[in-house]
Amino acid sequence: MTVLEDDLSLVFTALADPTRRAILERLSRGDATVHQLAEPFAMSQQAVSKHLLVLERAQLISRSRIGQSRPCSLDAERLAEAVGWIETNRRVWADRHDRLAEHLETL
Amino acid sequence: MTELTFRRIHRATPGLLFDCLTTPEHLTRFWGPKGTTTPIENITVDLRPGGVFETTMVDDADGGRYTMRAVYVVVQRPDRLVWQDADNGMLTTITFVDLHDGRTEVVTHQEKVPAPIASPAAQSGFVTSLDRFDAYIIDGART
Repeated sequence: MTVLEDDLSLVFTALADPTRRAILERLSRGDATVHQLAEPFAMSQQAVSKHLLVLERAQLISRSRIGQSRPCSLDAERLAEAVGWIETNRRVWADRHDRLAEHLETL
Repeated sequence: MTELTFRRIHRATPGLLFDCLTTPEHLTRFWGPKGTTTPIENITVDLRPGGVFETTMVDDADGGRYTMRAVYVVVQRPDRLVWQDADNGMLTTITFVDLHDGRTEVVTHQEKVPAPIASPAAQSGFVTSLDRFDAYIIDGART
């Protein structure tokens, strides 16, 4: 990984994994501990912890420093930023190709 | 390294599509997305590695201008075109794949995506759109 820590690439890498997306979806319904997150995925807490570390580095989640259970919570604003950027970018290219197709018809 | 990829198949040859993406007379017809126009005088193309590729899109509604400044990195007609955004370093690679049936697939890869310039999207309902990342984001490890 050669990108800067604050680059959105970290967010995209974090989101590229289906398990991590499922974790985010779970957290969108409320904070949860590692134990609670591990349950539905049939994964060890250790494996889930690795995913959480990636999500934490991308600042998509934050973890309480207080207490043993350290519940995780979603950073919705950061995620919305990434989704917004990707959607805007995708739309620009989709529109561009729509218009290119129309232009090709006239040649 | 994560990339964004956009694919589209057009009924045209790789050469024609390459020319469409590198000629101001063509670009002015389609470059700006819906709701914007890119007048031909707002397009600079110096088609050689190190040459400038600059476009200024104009918002049809409020006249707002958005300039993209880039420098060509690879100019290889008709297969491949690479430019780098001068402001944020984003690398855009366009590959023209001849499907040998009169059609060409245009694959746009973007690397080194920048921090967002646009304001955050509305937060409601964003989680449901997560599944779309599957189709759109390609983990570098698999490419």
